[in-house]
Amino acid sequence: MAIEPLTPEQVVKKTVKSDEPTKPTPEPTLSAKRLIGLALLLALMTWAYRAAQVEPQLLWENRDKAVPIITDLLTPSLLTRGEETQQVVVRVEAPCETSTGPVVEAGSGAQITLSSNCLNPGDSLTVSGSGLRPDTGGRLYWQHPNAQGRLRDERFRTDANGNFTVDTDIPQLLEDLGGGETELQTILSWESGRLRASDALTETFHAIIETIFLALMATTLGSLIAIPISFLAARNIMPRTPLGNAVYGLTRTALNITRSVEPLILATIFAIWVSFGPFAGVLALSVSTIANIGKLFSEAAESIDDGPLEAIRSTGGNELEVVWFGVVPQIIPPYLSFMIYYWDINVRMSTIIGFVGGGGIGLALSHWINQTQWNNAATAVWAIVIVVFAMDYISAIVRERLI
Amino acid sequence: MLEVINVSKVYDDGTRALNNVSFTVEDGEFLVLIGLSGSGKSTMLRCINRLIDPTEGRILYNGQDITNADPRELRQIRRQIGMVFQHFNLVKRSSVLRNVLSGRLGYTNTLSSVLGLWSAEDKQKAMENLRLVGIENKANNRADELSGGQQQRVGIARAMMQEPTLMLADEPVASLDPALADSVMRYFEKLNQERGTSVICSLHVLGLARRYATRIIALKAGEVVYNGDPDLIDDVRFREIYGDEAVEHSLR
Ligand SMILES: Nc1ncnc2c1ncn2[C@@H]1O[C@H](COP(=O)(O)OP(=O)(O)OP(=O)(O)O)[C@@H](O)[C@H]1O
Ligand SMILES: [Mg+2]
Repeated sequence: MAIEPLTPEQVVKKTVKSDEPTKPTPEPTLSAKRLIGLALLLALMTWAYRAAQVEPQLLWENRDKAVPIITDLLTPSLLTRGEETQQVVVRVEAPCETSTGPVVEAGSGAQITLSSNCLNPGDSLTVSGSGLRPDTGGRLYWQHPNAQGRLRDERFRTDANGNFTVDTDIPQLLEDLGGGETELQTILSWESGRLRASDALTETFHAIIETIFLALMATTLGSLIAIPISFLAARNIMPRTPLGNAVYGLTRTALNITRSVEPLILATIFAIWVSFGPFAGVLALSVSTIANIGKLFSEAAESIDDGPLEAIRSTGGNELEVVWFGVVPQIIPPYLSFMIYYWDINVRMSTIIGFVGGGGIGLALSHWINQTQWNNAATAVWAIVIVVFAMDYISAIVRERLI
Repeated sequence: MLEVINVSKVYDDGTRALNNVSFTVEDGEFLVLIGLSGSGKSTMLRCINRLIDPTEGRILYNGQDITNADPRELRQIRRQIGMVFQHFNLVKRSSVLRNVLSGRLGYTNTLSSVLGLWSAEDKQKAMENLRLVGIENKANNRADELSGGQQQRVGIARAMMQEPTLMLADEPVASLDPALADSVMRYFEKLNQERGTSVICSLHVLGLARRYATRIIALKAGEVVYNGDPDLIDDVRFREIYGDEAVEHSLR
């Protein structure tokens, strides 16, 4: 059969010699230069340590603060039973002039006794109750008409006979609020009835769905806009004319600049612009998706095989047909794969931008953190972990199939 | 008739790939371009349908100037000239049928082809051409599921959809094994003899060139060093074309 004749080039290649002398590698020496370099590095690290105010001992000293948060985070609020309460309200005047003895207030079969009826801020006070529901947790609150929230939160538990005693003192704040009549509320609460999803779980569920769809919306919107932009930023698609070069350069630069703006900043801007909520999140993530996926798209477009483009051109197809028949089939799989990848990334991002008004699970989470409702925050955190893990897994599988 | 008149091509990096090349191809000829790697065969073929713009000179097809054609005229000329590539240049993820149909793009209206609205006639023609190259049963397979030889036959079927009067083929069998090479070359022969399509084909196996060519043009460093009868290439001429060290194994 036909065997290709040897070309002169091939003949020449075979005779190339490869016995160049190898250079000896210099011995490593501990020169002055190296010592100075080492000293500079040490100085730099010391400076960094100070600047970052690293205080590792705090981790141990403040461990008490961490324990309740961590325990709450490990016990997310998932299910509850219905809650029933028993409540007795005592009205007291504070500050006041003269004491006339203890106060007794009866209500709903129970009785609350205060050690004194004339109370001044800072005075100590004993509150005792009887005839209440036995073995039940309860709280004492001071509620003043001029204050929005409850002033003091004192916890107790009734004994087997339905009695309790709490030693406390009068909140200083009552004086600042103008005195007058203040309510001292005694509230017992206990679970009863059937198990159901807790309010936090229901809210988390709605919020995480909102997050997933917010991310989907942003990914779709961002990708659709990024597709034509990616063509403008692809070297092999833009014609090599002065105009083509200018458009290519400008698009690249615009993408690079936009990409350096953090989504968190974008979200803050849009939250002010279109007000708090998922739409602000969609806008922020869309913009960051355009910038990031636009670059990935254009690189995918640049790495396509030119052969089919040449072939379509040679049949007499116009440039639109070259793109549709030659470029598009080649970029669909990588583009889809990047889109799924970005949906995954956007779900993660949307949990963070929720803190600055982007809606979704991040908003719920930041709300619960501000209210120090760690059990509820834990529910949101776990939901995020599960969804991010699932998205990661699914996107990996789908992308594998696409390629 | 194709007329190549004093064509030179200097690439952006300064490489002079063609130097003052002139030749003509009469209708119905089977012209084979030979020459060492880098001698300018691909450049010559790509200048003919202006996938590459020549730097100097003119190329006329049936009297029409290709080198100065505006984009519209150029597409008009291109659709009469089919091209088959060494690496097939199929859209790998598209079906065989869609690849073949894309050969009609020079004739169809853009909107309907983009929407995939091919006429029944075009579809029938595509199946006919696939039958002609013996792979009509693969019409709905993805192009990359086919073997190399089958992919090249898809490439030929695609070019045949243009109903070309001239067929360009740039080393159409170089990535196929020798046994397959011959069977693929036979499709060009058939096209040439049965439909009267002119063929310009670059080959690097002289044996194949001798078997199929009605005329051979040899290029060396961008210049024509031989233009004539395939049978008149003797030892001396062979050395002129391929250099002194080369030996023609295939025929000895
Ligand atoms: N795009 C390009 N830019 C610069 N130089 C090029 C380009 N394409 C080809 N050349 C050079 O032009 C010369 C001719 O190349 P060409 O591809 O036409 O040769 P060929 O005869 O087809 O070779 P082969 O048998 O290897 O395909 C070579 O020196 C090559 O390096
Ligand atoms: Mg070549």
